[in-house]
Amino acid sequence: MSYLKLENVKKVYNNKVTAVDNFNLEIEKGEFIAFLGPSGCGKTTTLRMIAGLESVTHGDITLEGKSIVGLTPRERGISMIFQSYAVWPHMTVYENVAYALKLRKLKKADIDEVVQDVAKTTDIVQYLNRYPSQLSGGQRQRVAVARAIAVKPKLFLMDEPLSNLDAKLRVSMRTDLKRIHQNVKSTSIFVTHDQSEALSLADRIVVMNHGVIEQIGTANEIYHESETMFIAKFIGSPASNFFVVNVILEDGEVYLVHDDFKVQFNGQEKDVLIKNYLDKSVVLSIRPENFTVNKGGFIKAKAKIIEPQGSHIIINTDIGGEEIKIVSDLLELESGENILLGFNDKVLLFDSETEKRIK
Amino acid sequence: MENILKKTILYLVIVFISLSVLIPLSYLVTISFSSQIEVNDYPKKMLPSLYHNIAIKWDAENQNYIVMRENNEGIFKELYISSKYDKIRDYMKTQLNIDMTTERIEKDFNVAKDTGEIVEYKYYKSFFNNYIKFFTVFSGAEKALINSIKAALITILISMSIGGAVGYALARTSIKKKEAIRIGSLIVRMFPMVSISVPMAVLLVRYGLFDSMLGLAIVYSIPNIGLTAAITRSIFIGVSKEYEEASLVFGATEAQTFRKITFPLVLPAFAASSMYAFITAWNDTAVSLLLTNKNETLALLIYKSIGGASSIHYAASGAIVLILPALVFTFLLKNYITQMWG
Ligand SMILES: Nc1ncnc2c1ncn2[C@@H]1O[C@H](COP(=O)(O)OP(=O)(O)OP(=O)(O)O)[C@@H](O)[C@H]1O
Ligand SMILES: [Mg+2]
Repeated sequence: MSYLKLENVKKVYNNKVTAVDNFNLEIEKGEFIAFLGPSGCGKTTTLRMIAGLESVTHGDITLEGKSIVGLTPRERGISMIFQSYAVWPHMTVYENVAYALKLRKLKKADIDEVVQDVAKTTDIVQYLNRYPSQLSGGQRQRVAVARAIAVKPKLFLMDEPLSNLDAKLRVSMRTDLKRIHQNVKSTSIFVTHDQSEALSLADRIVVMNHGVIEQIGTANEIYHESETMFIAKFIGSPASNFFVVNVILEDGEVYLVHDDFKVQFNGQEKDVLIKNYLDKSVVLSIRPENFTVNKGGFIKAKAKIIEPQGSHIIINTDIGGEEIKIVSDLLELESGENILLGFNDKVLLFDSETEKRIK
Repeated sequence: MENILKKTILYLVIVFISLSVLIPLSYLVTISFSSQIEVNDYPKKMLPSLYHNIAIKWDAENQNYIVMRENNEGIFKELYISSKYDKIRDYMKTQLNIDMTTERIEKDFNVAKDTGEIVEYKYYKSFFNNYIKFFTVFSGAEKALINSIKAALITILISMSIGGAVGYALARTSIKKKEAIRIGSLIVRMFPMVSISVPMAVLLVRYGLFDSMLGLAIVYSIPNIGLTAAITRSIFIGVSKEYEEASLVFGATEAQTFRKITFPLVLPAFAASSMYAFITAWNDTAVSLLLTNKNETLALLIYKSIGGASSIHYAASGAIVLILPALVFTFLLKNYITQMWG
C-alpha cells in the first residue's frame, strides 16, 4: 500500500478556473518526488491541497491509508517550505525553528535539543539568535528547511525553495537538500520548474502541463522515453528536435521519408507503424546528442552557428527549414563547414494528432 | 559646486524649521519656570533662572525694609516696601516664587537692620512652583488632565477596533466596493471636526453623551477611523499570507496564528495610527469647547486660562504639562515603529 495517494484529484477555483484535473499519484515512504512543469500548470495548487491550505474540489487524498481531505493543516502532520520561505520576521531563527515544537508542548530542554540538532544539520548554528532580516537569502532558506525538518513530518513539501537563489548557491543548496533528505529519510515532494533540479534531486518526476499529469517516471524514463511531445520539448537542454516524416513500406521494410532524407526504420515500433501509420505522417523526435556528425550519415547540412560549451559543442543547423540543434564532441568544427549527419536508434515517434508516443 | 549650494539651502531650511519650533518652545519652557516678576522682565532670559539676587535695605526713617532685586541688566531695582515679615514672605512667594519661612526672613532681614547696610542674598526659587500652582489655581486642572487621558484612550480604542477591522476587511476579504469604502473613509478626514461637531452636539444630547468623554471620543474617532483603516490595510496587504499559512501548517490553530503571527506583524501599524488618534484627541480645543460643559479637557482648560493675562506663567506650565505626555508617547512609539520597520 502506498504511503501518500492522490486519486482523481481536481481543483476548480471560483467555479471557473480548473487548475488541476484528474491527478493520480502514489508515493512510497521515503521517496523524493519532484513536480515539474511550466508556470501556471498547477504545481503549487496540488501542493497546497496536500497541505490542506486549499480545498479539494473533487477526489481523495490519503496519507498512511487514511483520508486527509477533511483535516485542517495542523492535523495532517505535514511540513512545508514556501516559495517565499515565510520565515517569520519578528522571531529569531531559534524561535522560528522552535515554533512548531512549542505548539506541541514539548519540554524546554527537549526543544533546545531538537533545535540544536537541526541547526547543525542545516548549518545555521551561528545564526540562531539573529533575526531573519539579518540573514542572506541562502541562510534564510536553510532556516526554512530547519523549521520544516524539526517536527519530523510525515511528509515534507517544498515549493520552489531554490528559485530565489543565485545560480551557484542554487546548485550547492540542491546538494544540501539531497544530503538532508538522505539523513532524515523523509518522504518529500519538491516543486520546481527547473528541470535540472528535478532531474538531479528526485527519485521520480511528475511532469505536469495545464493541470494534468503528462508523465510520471525516473529521470531516465522521462528523458529517454518521453510519453508526449510536450515532455520531449520541455525536458533537456537543448530540447529535442522534431521532424514530420511520412511512413512508407517498400519491399517489406519501413521507411521514414522527409524532404531531405529517407531512412529505413528498424525500431521496436515497426509493427505498430505498419499496422496504423502506413502512408501517414508521424513526428520523429531526435535528442541533440543522438545525432552522428561526419561519421557516415545521410543528411547533408551546413553548420550555421557553433556554440562551444567546453566539453562539447552545440551545432545549430537547418534541415528542411527547421532549426536543429546538435550536440557533438567535434571541438575543432568551424561554423560554415558542411557536415554529414546521421542518427542512432534512440529516436522517438509521436502521433502527430494526439502528440502521444507511438509504442 | 551645485551640490554644495543645494546642501547649504537644505541645511538653512532645516535650521529655519527647527528654530521656528524650538524658539517658541524654549520661550514657553522659560516662562513656565518664571516668577511673576520675571514674566514682566525685559529683556527676557533665554533659560529659566534658578535663583534671585535680593538686596535688603533698612529704611530707618520710615521703619521699613526695602526689598530690591537684581534684574537682567545687573541693576538692583526696588520691589517692595514693608516692615511685616509675613507680608514680605507672601510677596516673595507669589511674586518671586521664593518659598521661605517667616523665621528665616526675620533672621536674614535683621542683619540689614542691625548693621544699617545693604545686605545681599542669593535666594533659590522653588523650581516647580508654577506647576504646583497650575493645579491649585485652576481648580479643575487635575480633573481636566484625567478627562484628556480618558478621551484619548477611548479615541484610540474606537479608531483601532473599527479602523483595524475595516483595514483587515479591505486587505483580506473579497467584499464589494472596496475602493469606494477606502476613499470614502479618507474623504471624511477632509471635513474639519468642528463642522461635524455642531450636528453631533444634537445627536450627543439626545443619547445623553453631551459633556462626556465618550461623546468627545466618538467625534475624535471620525477622522481617525479612516486613517487607521488606510494604514492597517496596507500592512495587512504587506503581511504575506504565507506567514499565516506556515503557522497553520506547523501546528497552530487559526486563533494561535492570529495571536502569534498576524498580530505582532501588524502591531507597528496600530502603534502608528494610535499615535495619530492620541494627538487628535489630546490637542483638540475646538470640539471640546462645543461638546463639553463642565467636563473640559486639559487643552481646553489651558486655552481658556491663557485669556487671564495675570497668570500667563501658570498657563505656560499647564501647556508644558499638555505637551509632555504627547512627546513621550510619540517618542516611545516612534522608536518602536522604526525598530520594527527599520
Ligand atoms: N487563488 C486562486 N484563484 C484563482 N485562480 C488561481 C488561484 N491560484 C492559482 N490559480 C490559477 O491556477 C492555475 C495553477 O496555479 P499554480 O499556482 O498552481 O501554478 P504553478 O504551477 O505553481 O505555477 P508557478 O510555477 O508559476 O508557481 C493558474 O492558472 C492560476 O492562475
Ligand atoms: Mg507555484
